[in-house]
Amino acid sequence: MSDTTNETGKDPMKAAFPPPDGVQYEGQPLVLLELIQRLKVRDVMTKDPPSVAPSVTMREVQTLMRTQKISGVPVVENERFYGLVSLDDIIRALDGGYIDEPCADHMTTKLVDLEDDMPLSFALRYFDRYHYGRFPVISRGQRLVGIITQRDINRALLVELTNELNRLESQTTTNGDDPSSGLYVLREFPICKYDFENAGKAANQIKKVLQEKQFPSKIIRRIAVAAYELEINLCVHSDGGVLSWKIVNGKSEIVSRDAGPGIEDVEWACRDGTSTASEWIRSLGFGAGMGLANVKRVSDEFEISSKKGTGTIIKSTITLSHVTS
Amino acid sequence: MTIVEIVEKMGAEILVKGEESETPVKFVVSSDLMSDVLVVDEENILLLTSLASDQVLRTAQIVGAVGVIVVNGKPLPSSMVNVANDLRMTLATTKLSQYEACIAVYEILKQS
Repeated sequence: MSDTTNETGKDPMKAAFPPPDGVQYEGQPLVLLELIQRLKVRDVMTKDPPSVAPSVTMREVQTLMRTQKISGVPVVENERFYGLVSLDDIIRALDGGYIDEPCADHMTTKLVDLEDDMPLSFALRYFDRYHYGRFPVISRGQRLVGIITQRDINRALLVELTNELNRLESQTTTNGDDPSSGLYVLREFPICKYDFENAGKAANQIKKVLQEKQFPSKIIRRIAVAAYELEINLCVHSDGGVLSWKIVNGKSEIVSRDAGPGIEDVEWACRDGTSTASEWIRSLGFGAGMGLANVKRVSDEFEISSKKGTGTIIKSTITLSHVTS
Repeated sequence: MTIVEIVEKMGAEILVKGEESETPVKFVVSSDLMSDVLVVDEENILLLTSLASDQVLRTAQIVGAVGVIVVNGKPLPSSMVNVANDLRMTLATTKLSQYEACIAVYEILKQS
């Protein structure tokens, strides 16, 4: 799955995520998207960064930068934030011969700042828009409370993602005797159009996980068949999409999402023997028009929503509890 | 009877011996349409097909088949042997036609 772009050059993961117009489905935000909304700037910033008074010289600021290994120093006095001395300001002071003058005269005062209770997504947008190395963070009372850099963001996201991963893993053994309890697994597979070399690998991985967890063979087979049919469907009929799979609350949920082209007549497409596949697809052993009907057959719950010109979402749910092999 | 024994009796050739090569065959499917194979609700399937593609093996793996015999003496793409090894799926070839292979397997299983 190293190549996640399809032949149209679109990333199927990105292309498949926005829901098509008029189509509703249960949102499954990426952990990262959820994190940058949940985390506030104050959770990520460097709190109480080293600062200097306005009377301190540019040379002293330069020394502070070197010893503290920082590239920007806020200028603060009596809790009032006056400006920020950046490396650029120091270089200009050296070039202009005023390195021994007070920083208040040469600091950057036209600043863009962030408020500490803004979501992290705001900070990311600011970095993208302004191309600054750092932003001062102020409280509602206009007091400087921190500095945020891209490094701070990377570090915080890594820590939070690790925590999230640990949380998910801890839920995998909520009941040692019942492998279907709790959230067991969550996988997402980008599927590219006409990529027959890799088609089937997602279903294969899903089957392996189920075998490792020692689910009954009949259940494994039903889930694997549903996953495989949906994977082949994405490969054959869509412009590329994503197959996601999770086990939660004793149920396996496979969701296939694509970015197009959509199905004109969903009811017709779900009937046995109906297909729009080409001769080439049929020569590969597929396109008999039994895929969706077969997914429906092996699923306890089957949902499909599609709109011509946008995309298709198919959900197959298979209950894991009260089964015997 | 296992796929290895069946292959031996019908004079076919084993290319890859998979992890289910010693599992008794319970059901035989002969098809070139993988969609047909996917609707068969049986255990320990032996798949006879004239389709020589990687997807045959992936389909066989999904339905829990014990192995695949490709008929008509078709030359197999080299990737098929690699995929069979990856999936640990038994892969064999025979020069018999699909019809002849079906009869041969039927006779062998009837005598067992």
